[in-house]
Amino acid sequence: MATQMRLGFAQLRRLPLVLFVVLYSVVSGGPFLWVATMSLRTTAEIFKNPYGVPSPVHWEKFADAWTKSNYSTYFWNSATVVVVAVALVTVIGSMAAHCLARYRFRGNRFVRFLILSGLVLPPQLLILALFQILLDLDLYNTLTGLVIVYVATHIAMTVYILEGFFAQIPQDLFDAARMDGYSDFEIFWRVTMPIGAPAIFTTVTLNFIILWNEFLFAVVLLTDDAKRTLPLGIMHFTGSHQLDVGMVATGLMIAILPIILIYAFFSEAMIKGMTAGAVR
Amino acid sequence: MASVEVSNVAKRFGSVQVIHGIDVTIDEGSFVVLLGPSGCGKSTLLRMIAGLEEITNGEIAIGGRVVNNVSPKDRDIAMVFQNYALYPHMKVFDNMAFSLKLAKVDKKTIEQKVRRAAEILNLGEYLDRYPRQLSGGQRQRVAMGRAIVRDPQVFLFDEPLSNLDAKLRVQMRTEIRELHQRLKSTSVYVTHDQIEAMTMADKIVVMRDGRIEQAGAPLDVYDHPNNLFVAGFIGSPAMNLIPGTVGSQGSPSVLANGGINLPLPAGTGAREGTKVIYGVRPDHLELANGSGGLPADVVVVEPTGSETLVLCKLGESEIQVSFKERHAFKPGQRIALTPMRDKIHLFDAGSGQRLK
Repeated sequence: MATQMRLGFAQLRRLPLVLFVVLYSVVSGGPFLWVATMSLRTTAEIFKNPYGVPSPVHWEKFADAWTKSNYSTYFWNSATVVVVAVALVTVIGSMAAHCLARYRFRGNRFVRFLILSGLVLPPQLLILALFQILLDLDLYNTLTGLVIVYVATHIAMTVYILEGFFAQIPQDLFDAARMDGYSDFEIFWRVTMPIGAPAIFTTVTLNFIILWNEFLFAVVLLTDDAKRTLPLGIMHFTGSHQLDVGMVATGLMIAILPIILIYAFFSEAMIKGMTAGAVR
Repeated sequence: MASVEVSNVAKRFGSVQVIHGIDVTIDEGSFVVLLGPSGCGKSTLLRMIAGLEEITNGEIAIGGRVVNNVSPKDRDIAMVFQNYALYPHMKVFDNMAFSLKLAKVDKKTIEQKVRRAAEILNLGEYLDRYPRQLSGGQRQRVAMGRAIVRDPQVFLFDEPLSNLDAKLRVQMRTEIRELHQRLKSTSVYVTHDQIEAMTMADKIVVMRDGRIEQAGAPLDVYDHPNNLFVAGFIGSPAMNLIPGTVGSQGSPSVLANGGINLPLPAGTGAREGTKVIYGVRPDHLELANGSGGLPADVVVVEPTGSETLVLCKLGESEIQVSFKERHAFKPGQRIALTPMRDKIHLFDAGSGQRLK
């Protein structure tokens, strides 16, 4: 009897937590589900009943969005820019983080301050200067220009995450590698990189998600329709077909798919990387 | 195997001098332990021998070749680290084979060397495992295996047992010593644990604040500490150090605070009136037969099974006595102690240097 009461009390105490989790799931997952249902319905159906269930299910809308609209171009532009930028920011950022975490050199603190100060600069502040610089370098309205801007603006966060992780790798490992005959670059490439993989996956995932959704720099620095990235494409689509909510929803689902895949593959590594050092 | 010659070696980090012109000779095939408290510079000295730290001044020679400007990999040495320093993403075999692969040794020789080292260290069945799948002791053995496969001129050990629990540490201590006896390799071993140093070394180098306080065979250092620091550092439980003044009441003695008259052997050579520190190890005090002896009040009794440790109040000093026999003393009980006259150490109270 006493055990039953205790059990009941323990469950009761957990109730607020369960309620919070349910509420949070509804608030965060609800809009996603709503857009997902809209992506399978026509605009006319949506206007008739905004919250209805897809019936019939219009799978063909995905093919239409990909072929009849410019989605395939936007998608590949996004993919190219984001993959190249994430690759560059990962390599450059991890090299910088390795140096800052490992080597004592004159000006070490100043360099770290300079790089990490990028974390506090709001992107709006940079827009005008970047616009002018890219114009001067003939890189305005090019995917290359956008890649350079993405790399420059995301180095700070990448170095911040990686340096913290790399600094925790025991110095003995680096000494052992030196005694084994590795050069400084080989130590970075063959010791720091494999051991720092969880943190590197974290930055890859975060950068990918952020850049895939990036809108502000893209809208200012790209003008040609053929060069637009997905977030721009979706907005453009809204502009020219003002009331085609159904197609916008389909476009959003196409845009979000790579992020879901990336998260599904790397979420575990990402959590590992973010909590590294928190528990021994 | 090769000897190591450290001549007038100094090290400075910015404005801080951490090693002050040290001279040490490590004979071919010997096992030398660098011993001292944290921050005494022992690890820095080892890292300078390894080539991981630059030398500010002086010269280091391995096998007669000056290696000041030789990179670590070309010094023909191997090092075992405190944190094992195993590559977590490589299996045991690859960890052990790694330096040989880099040196472009052919696969067959690598296989042979790794298998041989694994056999010596009883690691045969673990070659396909990752370091995370091994216990602390096994990881340390892999770290040693990695050193062995290189067949180096000199082995360097940087506090390799510090991360192990007490029981495993004793076991590994014996294993390392046994390994040294089999391989007859020149070894330099850094530790702050004086028991480790006493049990493993052919020669102990006691360091403090970047200087060598004393170097010699373990028992010589134990029996004849050069100064107060070495006397207090070597030996567990530590030597009793009682301040007093040399006097002569019939026979030579030291008058300690509290009116205690500590006997000295004849021919000590300390002048009457000299302020001294009287040193006697806990196991060099015995219960006095009959009357006489030094009156001491028991404070705490600690029976360990193999011996009985007794903390006593002698005059104004607290001293520790170690009896091989079992005694059922009670706190507050008065006992009479006699120091073994030929085991007494006398140090100058000012300089801390040995007088006898």
